[in-house]
Amino acid sequence: MGNALFVVWRESLEAFLIAGILYAWLKGNDDSGRGRQALFIGLAAGAGLAVLLGWVLLGVQDELTGNALEVFQIATLFVASGLITQMVLWMTKNGRHMKARLHADLSAAAEKSGFVGVAVVAALAVAREGAETVIFLYGMAQGSPLGTVLLGALGGIAGAAATAWLAAKSLARLNIGLLLRLSSILLLILASALLVMAVDRLIGSGWLPALVDPVWDTSRLIDDTTRGGKLLADFSGYRARPALSALLAYLAYWSAIALAYRRISRG
Amino acid sequence: MKNALLFAVFSLFLASTTTFADDMPTIKLLMKDGRLIPETLEVPANTRFRLEVTNEGPGAAEFESLVLRKELVMAPGVTRNLVFHPMKAGTYKFFDDFHPATGQGRIVAK
Repeated sequence: MGNALFVVWRESLEAFLIAGILYAWLKGNDDSGRGRQALFIGLAAGAGLAVLLGWVLLGVQDELTGNALEVFQIATLFVASGLITQMVLWMTKNGRHMKARLHADLSAAAEKSGFVGVAVVAALAVAREGAETVIFLYGMAQGSPLGTVLLGALGGIAGAAATAWLAAKSLARLNIGLLLRLSSILLLILASALLVMAVDRLIGSGWLPALVDPVWDTSRLIDDTTRGGKLLADFSGYRARPALSALLAYLAYWSAIALAYRRISRG
Repeated sequence: MKNALLFAVFSLFLASTTTFADDMPTIKLLMKDGRLIPETLEVPANTRFRLEVTNEGPGAAEFESLVLRKELVMAPGVTRNLVFHPMKAGTYKFFDDFHPATGQGRIVAK
């Protein structure tokens, strides 16, 4: 029971955090309400996708389909990481425009495409982890009474929602400048974690060399196989024993971000 | 035509990463009710091997290892194969991410 709560909480936390951060940001920057509407449409679409994906995952038995699925999952990680990054850059540019209240027509067009981005990011966030939750709950439903399953599921989801709500609430209290900066940093860290996960799985599947494995070992300091360490790994990209190629991808990511921000602040 | 070609290339790619031949040792792992059987798997070092994971249930299980870079969600009653690339001698932890309290195991490469 407690275990079900924890698993569902952790699996849905990422999606709720993304939703919470986006909500706080949209509330501060977009008075029309269309952004938040796009966010909710995205979340609902993601839930539908999660059930569909979970159902597909359940049916997979043979190795070939298993491999195709692995490719698909790794691709989803890359796409999610890229889309979140793109959205943060859009938020950074757009926040400046909205504050300046200049070029109203231009920003209206930019706004529309940005909101589509918000919806897609939200949908992907829910679908990715949601599919695993679907399988977990399906498995539980076979062995335990329905009441226990429902309680675990609802409790976990409510817990994750409360965690994200708390984060969004604390973010919304800050002034707009700080809110934008902090939510951008949080989302970029998450995107970098997804990138590390994707590269790691490419290495694990033998499609990318590890180069040096491991570069260092900090498992005595923070062990990523413990519950807390695993959470840190999932959300920040931390690895106690990183491979060189994953490390390079991580460094390249942050260098690209630094460059992009330099260009935004100049333009 | 282009699609057929793409499909062929993709299948080849998949086939090259999936080995059906019996040139590698197969080690079996049973996941059952949050437990891993056995908890310690001995594998040959510096050799490719196949891990045949069966989740007997009840409940779903997720074979996961950050250090081995594997993640596999399995519904009850499912058997899947994971191919591991040659690893240096040493101990590598893995766990059942859906039952972290009880499902802790290790692979010992010798």
